[in-house]
Amino acid sequence: MAELGLNVPSLVSYLINYIILLILLGVFAYRPLLNAIDGRVDSIRESLAAADQARAEVATSRSEIEEELNEARREGQRLLDQAREAADRFRDAEMARARQSAEEFSERAQADIARERDAAINEVRAAFGDLAITAAERIIRRSVDRQAHQEIIDQVLAEGEQALRR
Amino acid sequence: MSLKRIMILFGIGMAVLLIAGFVVGAIGSRIFGLERPFVAQPEIHLPPQPIFPAEARDSALGLAPAKDEHGAMSSSDDQHAKDDQHAKSSDAHAGDGEKGHGDAEAHHGEPLGIMDIAITNTLLSAWLVSIVMLVFFVGAARKPKVVPGRLQALVEMLFELVLNFATSILGPEMGRKAFPVVATIFFFVLFNAWLAIFLIPIYQAVGYGIGTDHGFELKAHLLRPAGTDLNMPLALALVSFVFVEYWGFRAHNFGYLKKFFAFGDILRGRPSGIINVFVGLLEFISELVRVVSFTFRLFGNMTAGEILVVMITFLVPFVATQFVFGLELLVGLIQSVIFAGLTLVFLSVAVSHEEH
Repeated sequence: MAELGLNVPSLVSYLINYIILLILLGVFAYRPLLNAIDGRVDSIRESLAAADQARAEVATSRSEIEEELNEARREGQRLLDQAREAADRFRDAEMARARQSAEEFSERAQADIARERDAAINEVRAAFGDLAITAAERIIRRSVDRQAHQEIIDQVLAEGEQALRR
Repeated sequence: MSLKRIMILFGIGMAVLLIAGFVVGAIGSRIFGLERPFVAQPEIHLPPQPIFPAEARDSALGLAPAKDEHGAMSSSDDQHAKDDQHAKSSDAHAGDGEKGHGDAEAHHGEPLGIMDIAITNTLLSAWLVSIVMLVFFVGAARKPKVVPGRLQALVEMLFELVLNFATSILGPEMGRKAFPVVATIFFFVLFNAWLAIFLIPIYQAVGYGIGTDHGFELKAHLLRPAGTDLNMPLALALVSFVFVEYWGFRAHNFGYLKKFFAFGDILRGRPSGIINVFVGLLEFISELVRVVSFTFRLFGNMTAGEILVVMITFLVPFVATQFVFGLELLVGLIQSVIFAGLTLVFLSVAVSHEEH
């Protein structure tokens, strides 16, 4: 075997060399770099998971937002309908109240007119009474002829007409 | 100048160098009757050459002058200084006509004995590769960032390739546990094969040699790929073996030994149990043979690649070797994948809970 180069001290040297190399590489090369690779793999995996989660959250948020928008739209529509109904109710009530008020005013005006008319008739009646009395007094007090009576009557009527006009 | 023209000129230059290499190489020099080939006939050494201490180097390479001629010179400090002068590139020494060891070719070097202690050129190469690996990997992992730089990204990619390879065979949990051992084997084999190619000028030209009549002759490289040293594949095979057996034993406790020592049936008096005993024996032998197959597969491939490079350089120097370098890059990758892959497969078999 020596012809092939077998040499025990060299063999032991190679073994020691290998073991030292294994230890040094293991501590200063394999471990740090494999840890770095593992860290990067973990980081990438976490990033992908986070991205998936974010994507799912965005999808969920979008559907939630759409749901809320629909809800708000429905609520707005409902409020609008309520407002419209309230306005209708208010308008009807106000119209009814105005109509009633107008009727009351009309009735009151008619009553006032009637009362005024009655008062005027009574006043005219009283004035004609007074006139008639006045005319009669004058007729009685003056003894005149038919023409004179007629003149007196005409004069009284004219005075009475003037008084009525005033 | 357009790129097409540059490519054409490059191709013509390569073709000229190829033809020139063929003419001045070993084949051409024989055909055309040249005095000697451009590159001297290489010496193939299967065992690695000792570099330190100097006595062992001189003895193994046949560089030491004969004692009857130079007395105690061979082991003196003066001799070391002289040899250190040789530790330069062959180009630097080519043609300097050093004659100090002119007759050293007559000395035939002896390989190291099994228990001899010396630092060989392959061991030096393995240390250089270890340092390069540490600088490369630890430099990339010194301050790991979430967004990696180029070096960190490259090293992470390499680690993930090996980790995915391990987890595809062993599953995520066991693959992660096996990763450090398997990755170190994989990268050590790969870097040993590739660094020798990328640093080819240093590996091929720097070394120890002697001056001859034809100039400086390199006898031993300062660095030689560790894969061509039987001890390196054997050490990795032993690591793989111990690793596999450790996890097999840990997964099955003493039940793991039943695979090898299946005496249960025969102790119950069943004659068919002899078959299980035989199968267990085969399993035991195959377990040990794995170490041998691991060792010689890597050693054979790496050594064959080295010899191929040397021989092609000798036969057709200059550019023809480039094709072999491309092949060697592929061989280095394949061998590292096979070594790591087989370790993973054997580990997978050892820790699986199936009946064997």
